Amino acid sequence: MGFNFRGLAFKQSMMILAAITVVFGLIFAIMGQKTQDILNKITIENGEETSRANVNYIDKLFNSGKLVGDDIAETMGKRRMSKADLDTFLLHSLTNARNLIPQIVAVVLAYEPGMGPETPKGEFMRLARFTENEIRLVTGANYQDKEWYSSTKEGKTSRWQEPFIGEFVPEPIAVYTVPIFQKDKNGDDVLAGVLAIDMSIEFLKDEIATIPVSNGGYALITSENNVAVAYPKSIAQGKRNREIAVKEIRGNSTIDFDRKNRDPSGLFMGTVAGGEESAVYYTKINSNNWTFMVVWPVQKFLQDQRDTRKLFLILALGGYGVILVIILLISFRVAKPLKELVFAAKKLGGGNFDVDIPKVSGRDEVAEFATAFSNMLSTLKAHIEKEKDMKRIERELDLARNIQLSMLPGAERDENSEDDRHELAPFLLPAKEVGGDFYDFFKIDNDHLCVVVGDVSGKGVAAALFMMVARIILRTMSKNLKSVVDAFNKTNYALAKRNNLMMFVTVWAGIIDLRTGHVEFASAGHNPPAVRHEDGSVEFIPSRSELVMAAMEDTVYTKQTYDLKKGDTLFLYTDGVTEATNDKDELFGNDRLLDALKRGGRQNTSDTCAQVKRELDGFVQKAPQFDDITMLAVKFNGSDEPVWERYEKTVNVAENDKGVLKSFVQDILTPMDGAKKMQMKDAWERYEKIVDVVPENQDILTAFVEGILAPMEGSMKSQMQINIAIDEIYSNIVKFSGASEVTLIVEVRKATLSARLTFIDNGKPYDPIKQADPDVTLPLEEREIGGLGIFIVKKTMDSVCYRRNGDKNELAITKTL
Amino acid sequence: MQITKTTENDKLTLALEGRLDTLTAPLLEAEVVGKLDGVKTLVFDFQNLAYVSSAGLRILFMAQKVMSKQGQMIVKNVNSDINDIFKVTGFSNILTIE
Repeated sequence: MGFNFRGLAFKQSMMILAAITVVFGLIFAIMGQKTQDILNKITIENGEETSRANVNYIDKLFNSGKLVGDDIAETMGKRRMSKADLDTFLLHSLTNARNLIPQIVAVVLAYEPGMGPETPKGEFMRLARFTENEIRLVTGANYQDKEWYSSTKEGKTSRWQEPFIGEFVPEPIAVYTVPIFQKDKNGDDVLAGVLAIDMSIEFLKDEIATIPVSNGGYALITSENNVAVAYPKSIAQGKRNREIAVKEIRGNSTIDFDRKNRDPSGLFMGTVAGGEESAVYYTKINSNNWTFMVVWPVQKFLQDQRDTRKLFLILALGGYGVILVIILLISFRVAKPLKELVFAAKKLGGGNFDVDIPKVSGRDEVAEFATAFSNMLSTLKAHIEKEKDMKRIERELDLARNIQLSMLPGAERDENSEDDRHELAPFLLPAKEVGGDFYDFFKIDNDHLCVVVGDVSGKGVAAALFMMVARIILRTMSKNLKSVVDAFNKTNYALAKRNNLMMFVTVWAGIIDLRTGHVEFASAGHNPPAVRHEDGSVEFIPSRSELVMAAMEDTVYTKQTYDLKKGDTLFLYTDGVTEATNDKDELFGNDRLLDALKRGGRQNTSDTCAQVKRELDGFVQKAPQFDDITMLAVKFNGSDEPVWERYEKTVNVAENDKGVLKSFVQDILTPMDGAKKMQMKDAWERYEKIVDVVPENQDILTAFVEGILAPMEGSMKSQMQINIAIDEIYSNIVKFSGASEVTLIVEVRKATLSARLTFIDNGKPYDPIKQADPDVTLPLEEREIGGLGIFIVKKTMDSVCYRRNGDKNELAITKTL
Repeated sequence: MQITKTTENDKLTLALEGRLDTLTAPLLEAEVVGKLDGVKTLVFDFQNLAYVSSAGLRILFMAQKVMSKQGQMIVKNVNSDINDIFKVTGFSNILTIE
């Protein structure tokens, strides 16, 4: 399992690390700033502490020097002294001063020209000086242009001069100068001269050197003009005082430090004597306006800060590493089982349900997920097995439904029951679970159409199978017995006899006489059909419902009748229609059915079924269909042919049983009135001829028919056409049927000059009507000669009708002579 | 059915009498099939013919096919009933009827 850079573990680790980095960065920056502030504060405090004692000491010293000077000057101003007095006074003053301040090395007196004691017009300067443990008096000259003298004379105020190396005192000195005023004759103050107190400052250098400063720092004293006055020898390195300048660093530039417009004390970054960058704390010395400085070279000054940062960084990196390791461990602890689960899920997706789900110990979410996944797999497995079973059952139900539907005739063409006298359309929509609905229709003979609708109790394959059996038996019985009631009785008996499952079926069946619209029907527990009359009115036909089929073996059904009028539509249905339920649990019901049929108007039969289905859908909406929906609509168009009643009696000719025939006819005629008698007189005459199937027998048949038809005196043309028809039909039988025997039944009705010829042969099933008509418009070269015979028959006869009756072909033609 | 055969140079006239149906058609077929070499004009005289069935039509069809290649074929004296059959079957378009 390689490292996945897009994996959960990596993403999570990276995000947490990023967050930690931000936090650490912030802490680092804030701590740095704080450290800086604290260090600055400490530095300032340190500087203040270092400075305070020294500044006080220097202040005290210089204040004392000032007091001494002021005192002497005051004394001098009060009286004029002789030279001798002056010398004594100077010696005395210096001795006193040195007792007070040992650093005072000289007291100097310089007079304005003419004001001195000895030379009335010239200058006079006298000083007492301490050298090598004794005090000497010295006379000076040329002092008037000197800075210390002229500045005091002009300013007329006392002041500390910039330190310098004295003329008479060969060492650095600080000089306090005081103007001496005397009263003139008018009593005004007149400048008499300047008193100077020389104070050695060499000792300051020694003092400075001994001041202890932390972090390799040192102390420094500068004069008012920013000239170094006292400093450790180590930084001088042969430089003169003036070259030991203090500079301030502002941004990228370096300027001379100027204290004038600043606070009395403070901190700045700068250099001393062009040395390394340093932090400088300064304090103003009030007495002489000098500056006391404490200097820390920056390298050393920042050392602490750096050490702190370094420690912090090491701690941070260490913590960082530890967190990284922990995160990675947690992430992989989470990601590894997840990856294994993904692997398992992929296999699962590929259809492998036997995949091993990795066991994850612990009670965290991943472990829960693994457990849930494992449960899902087993549930899924079970579900799929169940689904397979369901699928199999569903397939079988589909199969049953397909068989059910395919067994039913779809259209009239399937049953060969089409004719002009009726229209018929069936409709069956099976429910999801196959049910036992069925319909059926077939012709009993040329003039009788049987229609059936039924509903087997229950659902499923059993119902479907039962339905098929019921339908087949009923169909066979109806065709053979030609009576609904007989068919019902027989079918019921057959079904009831071996009905172990206790199923039953409701059936409505009717045989419609297509010539008259007369319906003979029976109902085994089935809903009464509806009828729509040509005028648009609708009703249920009176239908007495008897016991359902398959319930009791000996049920006897009774014949019921109804007469369809021309244009009536008979509508059969199952309770799937009337008991269709919407989601409010309401039934579609009889009234809605009649309304739907009414709205169907004069539509043809298939549209009638579609109309009912549409209204049913609109009513039911989305409620599921629980039952099969079955409908069958038959419209009776009526027949233009005159209607004849037909009676048949077969007698044994050998026994010459005339009496039987006579009573047969009388039985028929007795209940009739005159008109009917007339009709009966002209009833059908029936003749029958059976011949072996050899070509030559065609003549026998032709002669047979001519013999019957000739007395009727029809047209020659009709006679000829009938002869041709016999020729075509018989020659077809000879050529194609393989039959051994042909029966020709000739029926004639003299009153209307009607003739019907029925050819019955025992050959293989062959329906000549189904044969496609030849294209008679083609030119000679493209014409085929086949198929013309039956075509001629169809064109020249009034009607041609074929049916397979048992193992026989029956082809009937009618012709008006 | 009676068939009366008259030959004038390359013109053959077949006069039919009675019914031309399945049973009699083979007689006519025997007179026509393979017997038309050198015949330029074939005439069927239906003066006394009662009717023609599809078997007869088949022979006429065969004859017409042969004569279309080597000359002409004429059917004359057709009664209205037979003419109806010709019309119904489209033979009136194929045959030359006088």
